[in-house]
Amino acid sequence: MRTRYLLLPLGVVAAASAAGHHSFSAEFDASKPVTLHGTILKMEWINPHSWLHIAVKNADGTTSEWMIEAATPNTLFRRGYTRDAVKPGTEITVEGYRAKNGANRANGRDLILPDGSRLFMGSASTGAPGDSAAGGGANEQ
Amino acid sequence: MRNRIQVLTVALLATAGVGRSVVEAQTSASAAPASAPAAAPVPRTSWGDPDLQGVWDYRTITPMERRPELADREFYTEGEVAELEGRAARRMDKAPDPNAPSTGLVHADYLTDPGRHVDDAHRTSLIVDPATGRMPALTPEAQQRQDAARAAAAASPAGGRTDSYRDRPLYERCITRGLPSTILPTLYNNNIRIVQSPGYVAIVHEMIHETRVVPLDGAPFTGVRSYLGESRGHWEGDTLVVESHNFNGKAPFRGAGANLKLTERYRRTSVDRIEFRMTFEDATQWVQPWTVAYSIRPADGELYEYACHEGNYGLHNILENARDADRAAAASKH
Repeated sequence: MRTRYLLLPLGVVAAASAAGHHSFSAEFDASKPVTLHGTILKMEWINPHSWLHIAVKNADGTTSEWMIEAATPNTLFRRGYTRDAVKPGTEITVEGYRAKNGANRANGRDLILPDGSRLFMGSASTGAPGDSAAGGGANEQ
Repeated sequence: MRNRIQVLTVALLATAGVGRSVVEAQTSASAAPASAPAAAPVPRTSWGDPDLQGVWDYRTITPMERRPELADREFYTEGEVAELEGRAARRMDKAPDPNAPSTGLVHADYLTDPGRHVDDAHRTSLIVDPATGRMPALTPEAQQRQDAARAAAAASPAGGRTDSYRDRPLYERCITRGLPSTILPTLYNNNIRIVQSPGYVAIVHEMIHETRVVPLDGAPFTGVRSYLGESRGHWEGDTLVVESHNFNGKAPFRGAGANLKLTERYRRTSVDRIEFRMTFEDATQWVQPWTVAYSIRPADGELYEYACHEGNYGLHNILENARDADRAAAASKH
């Protein structure tokens, strides 16, 4: 069943001229999954990929800043997410894969909010915390 | 001189992405809302050409090539279309499975935007010619080139060579996706804006911020090669035909570049559809020409800036990873 389910994504990728903007394996290590609990510092709404900056408290009480690679802002904006959808100070759990060189950077697979919902999941104006129907430049932050 | 001013105006408006209201005020119509009745007459510009103007969306989940298990079947059944579209919607709307292995893609499915619909024609492939729905065979010399490229890739580190930024793909470097890649359905940002003036059509590709200004006045090809090649257009009835060649070969598609000739056809069949066809010819690459066809729909919203280079942290990170690995390897030898 699982194999059957995967047929469509493979078909889509075959139609695509490139599988995303850059290679996953040149930047991240699939053998280094990370789970980070932190607080959003800022979101850079930039292409080719946006970056979420979060403050993560370490076991020794210190705080580290991590950068999480996320989607192209053009797509997020089309789905109704503006800069108001990502508020500094929001708690977030990030599940992803760490940079190959061990830097505090990760690929964000799952961006989970305290109520269990996902950042950037759901239709426009539904389910996005702080989502606003008001316009606003995706690159204005 | 007049034509030159017009083309500059179109290019500036199109490239800047501002002045939409000016463009619309100058012309009779832009892309109509999807709710308009399909039977409405096809819009025309004030000077009488079919009006292709507006922001258009070429997303589709129909694969370029027919899946092997479908053999020679040209069309999906209604049930298959419903199943495929349902699956595409679930794929976009579901949370990532924490137990699923990495797909090798940079983003989880819900962070991409490849579309949710099978192309209007319900064909099992975007390729309509040859009838196999699959790309034609490579020529012997193209097969040799492909074998050599695959062997080189297999000998490279995972993710490709990283000795220099020059080793990285032009798309990753935010330089170009090249033509035809920039007009084939991909994972996200499948949008173009078409702007017309008498004698010219400008096609603005959202990703990655490139504009083709296509003369329709019979101007000869100059022979100057570039990433997107040279494009010249003309009308065949109500169909805009755009021929492109003189590619510099640095942004090849499946191995075809410097010798590639593309013929695009845009025909507005209703207020909310453009029928698009594109024929690939390269006798050094494929044993016969081949053609894809798909419908293009009005985009839901604007064409947004895709300023790629300035924020391309990924390229920096890839090279940083590689240099750190070099240092670690050197240190381990001592």
